[in-house]
Amino acid sequence: MINWISSLPNFSAYGTPVYFFYLILALLPLGIGLYFGKRFSWYEALVSFVFIFLMFDGSSWQQGISLICYVIYETILVMFYSRYRKKQNGTGIFYLISALSILPLVIVKLSPAMVGHNSLLGFLGISYLTFRAVGTVIETRDGMIKEISPWKFIRFILFMPTITSGPIDRYRRFEKDYKKVPDRDQYLGMVSKGIFYLFLGFLYKFVIGYFFGQRFYPFFERLALGDNTAFSWHMLGVMYTYGFYLFFDFAGYSLFAVAISYFMGVKTPMNFNQPFKSKNIKEFWNRWHMSLSFWFRDYIFMRFVFMATKKRWFKNRNALSSTAYMLNMVLMGFWHGITWYYILYGFLHGIALVVNDWWLRYKRKHLKNLPHNKLTTGIAIFITFNFVMFTFLIFSGFLNTYFFS
Amino acid sequence: MHNGRKLWSIFGPVILAFVLVLVLFSLPIENKHSLKTEKQAAVSLSPVVFKNQSIKKQALSDKKANFVPFFGSSELRRMDRYHPSVMAARYHNYTPFLFGSRGTQSLPQFFNINSMENQMTDQKAVYIISPQWFTKQGVMAPAFKYYNGSYANLTWLQKANPKSPYDRYTARRLIALIGKDGTVGAAARKIADGESLNGWDRLVISTRINILQHEDALFSAFQINQNYQKYILPNIKKLPKKYNYQALYQDAVKTGDHDTTNNRFRVKNSFYTKRIKPHEKHLAGSQKHINYTKSPEYGDLEVVLNQFKNTNSNVLFVIPPVNAKWEKFTGMDMDMYYRTVDKIKFQLKEQGFNNVLDLSHDGGKTSFMEDTIHIGWAGWVKFDQATNNFISKKQPTPHYQLNDRFLSPEWRNLNPTPANLQKFKEQLNK
Repeated sequence: MINWISSLPNFSAYGTPVYFFYLILALLPLGIGLYFGKRFSWYEALVSFVFIFLMFDGSSWQQGISLICYVIYETILVMFYSRYRKKQNGTGIFYLISALSILPLVIVKLSPAMVGHNSLLGFLGISYLTFRAVGTVIETRDGMIKEISPWKFIRFILFMPTITSGPIDRYRRFEKDYKKVPDRDQYLGMVSKGIFYLFLGFLYKFVIGYFFGQRFYPFFERLALGDNTAFSWHMLGVMYTYGFYLFFDFAGYSLFAVAISYFMGVKTPMNFNQPFKSKNIKEFWNRWHMSLSFWFRDYIFMRFVFMATKKRWFKNRNALSSTAYMLNMVLMGFWHGITWYYILYGFLHGIALVVNDWWLRYKRKHLKNLPHNKLTTGIAIFITFNFVMFTFLIFSGFLNTYFFS
Repeated sequence: MHNGRKLWSIFGPVILAFVLVLVLFSLPIENKHSLKTEKQAAVSLSPVVFKNQSIKKQALSDKKANFVPFFGSSELRRMDRYHPSVMAARYHNYTPFLFGSRGTQSLPQFFNINSMENQMTDQKAVYIISPQWFTKQGVMAPAFKYYNGSYANLTWLQKANPKSPYDRYTARRLIALIGKDGTVGAAARKIADGESLNGWDRLVISTRINILQHEDALFSAFQINQNYQKYILPNIKKLPKKYNYQALYQDAVKTGDHDTTNNRFRVKNSFYTKRIKPHEKHLAGSQKHINYTKSPEYGDLEVVLNQFKNTNSNVLFVIPPVNAKWEKFTGMDMDMYYRTVDKIKFQLKEQGFNNVLDLSHDGGKTSFMEDTIHIGWAGWVKFDQATNNFISKKQPTPHYQLNDRFLSPEWRNLNPTPANLQKFKEQLNK
């Protein structure tokens, strides 16, 4: 059986243009159903199963097994907690269940740093599934999810278009979409938007992203690696080309996920909203990888602020928000992986958010006459953009190669 | 009707886009490249020209321009005024079509040569074999992938014979280097296991080749660099009008002498300043443990030889030298180096490939090497003399006798002492 599975061809999600051909062909009956106001759940499950199977068969079959174990484990936790929550609402149990549901991700993230190789528990997309699972536990605790069944939960965390790299949806929102079949006008609107997103995604990922990732970035990388100074001008090339590659590749991918979701009659949230025109770093995080930053905002930042206020840990409101920013961003850094450059990336963004808050207060108090015009806006955008690009250079791990190997 | 119009406004443009793409990719596009494009491509050394087929096939079929393929690796980029492309433009009635850059060792070259079989049939060619290719692991996967594309792989798969030990070997190497997934990987696995491809496999392969062919014909001419304008054209006029080997050689020695003044290795000044000086301390003795005698590269070379046999190509093999001063400094075991050269020559000559230009003993001559491992100036003059002799004069028809024992691990891992080579020879003749 395993031999047979490992010999099958493997298709990673949205990897090649041909993939879309197969995927859309498979989704066509579903779309026709939705057009006539019917959702063929069983057919959707079948297509999802086939395409998820194709992502995790062949040489990735071990990941496929990890995925199955992981989903069973999370489903048991969520079902247990949902049942418990109907009768009781103990804080201890909530923390325990949350910790247990994050545990596999923590092990997977710690393994490379602790034991030197990737954990067998890992699979492509584990962090995104974890965000959805933990989010479900928290929503249950808040009483926002009254009724949940194993089938519904699995349908949610394994939602095929978003399985490997998000966007991160919330259970309550997803389930509402899922239950309510859009009417014909609405559905056609979604399809038309979906087609636009799909083609925009093609432009982003397969054209612009290709040039930045496969042409420009390697060009500067090779030049920069030939330099022996602490700073080199080529490194600036590496920085900008990597930053643009990261955006166009990831935004393109997210557009695909959103487009395919729309075809399936589900309004998965958008992930990017023109991030490089942000005027400050806070705005940047409202435009960049939005589903992740909103998840952190709602479940880390807000929870921390709420608890710290209730328990009066801080006297000064600014100290409280600064601590919350740092916690939020450093945690995000750790989530990317336990390496110095991911952690530094999170740390710098935390600092930037603190500085940004301070600057806004300072401006309000002392610089009331500072004009708000095209020039000052331009300067703000320029500073934000270049800071972000600099942190992406750190994030890329290039400096690790440059300085240490 | 209302809904129909709405549907059309959504899907119409998409359908139209698909139809246009289909039309574009099924039109019988014959993109004629100009002689200028061919000449530019011949010295571009770019992976685009290497991986695609329309330009190189057209150029090598062009009887008037008389292009001759030169297969090699990074030395071809040393475009000084004595470079074979410049020399040929000035003195000879042929134009070298250069294939190779860093990393184009025998296996990438095999796929390149295989994809232009018709153009190679009964033709002459030059093949430069660097002993540096023969490392313990052979060609590196990233370098291979950079110079290898689905187009060449699929072209090969279409003709691959699961009964041929050469094709089974190539399939195994292909899987090891690019993985076993995708159309190419799956088909290569079948060939490696000795299974024939079925009708469906062939349909998929020919459909993909058709698409790639169109892509190639439409786009590859746009992506050629300016090497010809930058390095070849301006140098042609710097050469004297009349060809005189002695005078050119002396000239080249002088030019080289002039450009290698800031270092004791006699490598080009700019190369020394940029590439050696910053790490000079760490480089002393750095090549002590290098061994080229055992490598998968020997098997890879064998499939190239088999390819030459299949197209009855007459090939001059060149073994370039290494910089003697540099090798001494880095502690290269020269005994090992010469045994490697012996092993390569043994593999060639035992199978009837008798045109071998062995330059391996010239690495100590003044201005022969441009840097540590690449010939330049005087080296090019000597190289050009031999290649011109080979190409311009009529050569006897070659008689090749291939032996698939050269694909075996036994040969790959043989330590080529004279005694071991003698023993292997006895086994071959059994």
